[in-house]
Amino acid sequence: MEYTYQYSWIIPFIPLPVPMLIGVGLLLFPTATKNLRRMWAFPSIFLLSIVMILSVYLSIQQINRSFIYQYVWSWTINNDFSFEFGHLIDPLTSIMLILITTVGILVLFYSDNYMSHDQGYLRFFAYMSFFNTSMLGLVTSSNLIQIYIFWELVGMCSYLLIGFWFTRPSAATACQKAFVTNRVGDFGLLLGILGLYWITGSFEFRDLFQILNNLIYNNEVPFLFLTLCAFLLFAGAVAKSAQFPLHVWLPDAMEGPTPISALIHAATMVAAGIFLVARLLPLFIIIPYIMNFISLIGIITVLLGATLALAQKDIKRGLAYSTMSQLGYMMLALGMGSYRAALFHLITHAYSKALLFLGSGSIIHSMEAIVGYSPDKSQNMVLMGGLKKHVPITKTAFLVGTLSLCGIPPLACFWSKDEILNDSWLYSPIFAIIACSTAGLTAFYMFRIYLLTFEGHFNVHFQNYNGQKSSSCYSISLWGKEVPKMIKNHFCLLSLLTMNNNERTSFFSNKTYQIDGNGKNRIRPFITITNFVTKNTFSYPHESDNTMLFSMVILVLFTLFVGVVGIPFAFNQEEIHLDILSKLLNPSINLLHPNSNNSVDWYEFVTNASFSVSIAFFGIFIASFLYKPIYSSLQNLNLLNSFSKRGSNRILGDRIRNGIYDWSYNRGYIDAFYTISLTQGIRGLAELIHFLDRRLIDGITNGFGLTSFFFGEGIKYVGGGRISSYLLLYLLFVLIFLLIYSFFFNLNFL
Amino acid sequence: MNYFPWLTIIVLLPIFAGSLIFFLPHRGNKVIRWYTICICTLELLLTTYTFCYHFQLNDPLTQLTEDYKWINFFDFYWRLGIDGLSIGPILLTGFITTLATLAARPVTRDSRLFHFLMLAMYSGQIGSFSSRDLLLFFIMWELELIPVYLLLAMWGGKKRLYSATKFILYTAGGSIFLLIGVLGIGLYGSNEPTLNLETLANQSYPVALEIILYIGFLIAFSVKLPIIPLHTWLPDTHGEAHYSTCMLLAGILLKMGAYGLVRINMELLPHAHSIFSPWLIIVGAIQIIYAALTSPGQRNLKKRIAYSSVSHMGFIIIGIGSITDTGLNGAILQIISHGFIGAALFFLAGTSYDRIRLVYLDEMGGMAIHLPKIFTMFSILSMASLALPGMSGFLAELIVFFGIITSHQYLLMPKILITFVMAIGMILTPIYLLSMLRQMFYGYKLFNVPNSYFLDFGPRELFVSISILLPIIAIGIYPDFVLSLSVDKVEAIISNYFYQ
Repeated sequence: MEYTYQYSWIIPFIPLPVPMLIGVGLLLFPTATKNLRRMWAFPSIFLLSIVMILSVYLSIQQINRSFIYQYVWSWTINNDFSFEFGHLIDPLTSIMLILITTVGILVLFYSDNYMSHDQGYLRFFAYMSFFNTSMLGLVTSSNLIQIYIFWELVGMCSYLLIGFWFTRPSAATACQKAFVTNRVGDFGLLLGILGLYWITGSFEFRDLFQILNNLIYNNEVPFLFLTLCAFLLFAGAVAKSAQFPLHVWLPDAMEGPTPISALIHAATMVAAGIFLVARLLPLFIIIPYIMNFISLIGIITVLLGATLALAQKDIKRGLAYSTMSQLGYMMLALGMGSYRAALFHLITHAYSKALLFLGSGSIIHSMEAIVGYSPDKSQNMVLMGGLKKHVPITKTAFLVGTLSLCGIPPLACFWSKDEILNDSWLYSPIFAIIACSTAGLTAFYMFRIYLLTFEGHFNVHFQNYNGQKSSSCYSISLWGKEVPKMIKNHFCLLSLLTMNNNERTSFFSNKTYQIDGNGKNRIRPFITITNFVTKNTFSYPHESDNTMLFSMVILVLFTLFVGVVGIPFAFNQEEIHLDILSKLLNPSINLLHPNSNNSVDWYEFVTNASFSVSIAFFGIFIASFLYKPIYSSLQNLNLLNSFSKRGSNRILGDRIRNGIYDWSYNRGYIDAFYTISLTQGIRGLAELIHFLDRRLIDGITNGFGLTSFFFGEGIKYVGGGRISSYLLLYLLFVLIFLLIYSFFFNLNFL
Repeated sequence: MNYFPWLTIIVLLPIFAGSLIFFLPHRGNKVIRWYTICICTLELLLTTYTFCYHFQLNDPLTQLTEDYKWINFFDFYWRLGIDGLSIGPILLTGFITTLATLAARPVTRDSRLFHFLMLAMYSGQIGSFSSRDLLLFFIMWELELIPVYLLLAMWGGKKRLYSATKFILYTAGGSIFLLIGVLGIGLYGSNEPTLNLETLANQSYPVALEIILYIGFLIAFSVKLPIIPLHTWLPDTHGEAHYSTCMLLAGILLKMGAYGLVRINMELLPHAHSIFSPWLIIVGAIQIIYAALTSPGQRNLKKRIAYSSVSHMGFIIIGIGSITDTGLNGAILQIISHGFIGAALFFLAGTSYDRIRLVYLDEMGGMAIHLPKIFTMFSILSMASLALPGMSGFLAELIVFFGIITSHQYLLMPKILITFVMAIGMILTPIYLLSMLRQMFYGYKLFNVPNSYFLDFGPRELFVSISILLPIIAIGIYPDFVLSLSVDKVEAIISNYFYQ
């Protein structure tokens, strides 16, 4: 058993060979590597499964006897500074390890099919495996510098994967935005690490906490500075977990391929911020201000994310805002000090949200074949509707995910969310009211997404003869009106290029014929055009392939049963600690239940649970009232149209609804504010400084050069050898001399 | 002790072998190219061999010293020797110059002169890094200016004469101050001029004189490094020069300024340095922000990279100004690491310019489809430049940060402020580098070029970029490669400051 711990440093490096081999292969032997295409998926899944087995084994050990293992190597040897590398296995790590590996394997499995037609298939797998490496490194790291290193690497992977389809301008801006926003967080993180190093002289978590405690015990710590450092550290977590002021990157990050959104932007990477705060909770807990601040940020994010998710058209953006809101719940829980609830919600949310994203990916995959490869269309919920007939399995999976996220009892998220809500009542009633009402909002927007997508009629075929669609709520983009014609144009363009434009090729070859291995599909324009046109007349989305469905089904199972790890089975009084999560996190922090006995009062539990469930049902009811298709799905596309039946209070109600709608549609005006203030500001400043640099600093140099040039020219002219000019100059100087002389002479007289 | 003159051979081999180019038979450019590359590789191997077998790493003193009298009545010696401070830059010089000659293969116009100049520069650079005599240092310093001027004026872009003139005026102007400083130091206190760095290091001067000398040297080196506001030659020069010249400029030439700052200002004039170091740090912090803010305003690709290297030089200045072991080590690591990263970025910019023939960033776009390998390398190296962990730039900057944090010279508040400003630079760097990547590669665009078919990296270019990339990653993963070279020497230098 000791051996397992000793060799567990290898965990992050197990998936590393895949990206290295693919990278080297793509650079040096592109053709050979591309011929092996599908083969590469196998080792990446295989290696990740090894990690999974290892981490399951480790966490079983952890459950049996909770103990923390740490091992450290020195990295740089110097007298003054020594960095160390190490790995730390504790309950938190083992939970995160299992989470990352299970979701990672399922997503890899899924994306094998999802990306199979993409020319960037290999690149995708290389990035994914590299992401897995750095994420595993992040959770096993034992000191702050190591956390920072992997933190940045994870951010880079996210950058690369958001910009995966680099030909889309929107993806290009989105990935830059994500990286820069995350860098703002990293800025805080780095400064916080440096400040803590200055205070304590250590990076190791446990040394650091111990030294800090000693310092505080002896009252020798600059408290303001410590608060500042903790605040800066928290800024890193804010950016990574998309909390309130720095959340702007997450919805845009949905430009990446959908498996990425499931793995990185829902389950693992965005949870890294939560992980960091959880890891540093012993530090934060010393400073009450920071704890309050964390919960404040959490509650703001909860509310903001939920309101912004209300009227999103894009299915993935809606889910992204919901992710943000749920992350806010976790942050809130951490800020309240209920460590266990936060981690429990982290686990359950990761599986449910991964399931939802994979489901939406499956929908998008089937929609792409019909509406075209544009995120404005294939992810647009307005064009969907009535999919439950066509994609039944996806529909079931998606429904399970939705119900789980809404907090309907037997499913995973119910247990964790309920726990957070309960704890929030203990913490502060205002926060609790907000959190509970947001639970209702969550149910509302999740069901809105579900209903718009799966209920009603399939909307794509209506759009050509229905004028109402392009009116108030949204305008069909340029590509929208005449699909076949635009497609043809694209095809001309494509056949002109006849090459690597991967997305469009992959789109056209979607369902028409199977691809055997390496892009033989490149130059077959005519066949595809005919196929496409015929298909467009009577096409409905198809269910996805079995590999994709398989991952989703497994995730459904997870969503159904993962709640078990945290449910307190207190049926018989002898075995109180049956619940696995509490067993893992037993000696950890719990602020709100000081006399921690895990026997739950069942009566209290049931009342609380029934309260939150009733709120969720209320949300669901409102959503189905608004979006349930009664006679035509077209009328219920937004909040505006559906209320036209009601007569009284109409104007005020409409105004409120308009306000909410605009708020949500414009992303709370925060993006616009950032664009105007920060982006334009920096651009203006850059222009200004560039101008100064060129005109002022360079101007002095050039001016110096020009003056000396003119001076030389003047001298040349004067010294041209003409006697008359010499005489003139001579006389001039004599005159000046006389003037001066007379001046002084007069002065002397005076 | 062996008396074989290794260093003399290393310094003189390139320029002598280079002058033989003119006697080669007229067989086309191929012979010249191969000859030059062979010489460069031979030199690199020779340097590596010498340093492996005749240099003890744990000895902070000067080694491999050579001392020959050159001019009798002026007491001028041919004094060479290396220590932990100079071994890194010399190896960097060998590496980058070899790759630059490999990168310069497309140059066909006047290729004899071109390659001769490359080799002459090789000699000048190694000479100035390894000279132990102030006047010799000055001569070597001047020696490599002329090849740069010619390379710039003959093989540059459209505005090459303007930038070449600007370059030579700036640097020659700086050299005047260098000469003044050299003579001032050499002639102080005795009738016989003493120019030996060894003896000079142990000499002490009155504070006023030391400050004046310090200012003189500072001006000379801050033109070269560059330190704002003396940086404006750099974007012009880098924007116009051929990319192999750019590699040398960014990779090595800028580092000579930093080297001189450590070698002369820190080692010879410790009093003045401790007086000036707060100002150096402030200037460095301003420079990081200033250059990082100027960079996004540039439309020209090469100028944008040039400003990014100005910004990175700020870290070197801060590291030198922090007067700590850590900070100085970080500065040296940054010298090496930026040598690789800057050279590689200019190489990539040049090669992609060769293909699309567009200078301005806003005209480019959508190149990633046609040039995937360039895209990959460009992304990786931009990441290296914006200090992604795992690459050398990150470690260098991190160590400089620690240098500032652990410095005992400054109070808490200024330290916090400086660290803050430096860290803001960390936010600005990705803005300009990533927007550069976005404008060049992302998006989708049809080129108006008649045959819109671009050749991706050939094996030669791939080799060059990968062989620069490997040390970047190696240093990033295991920094002791470089740190072990300089640690003892740095300790020796810093310990000077505690005796006072």
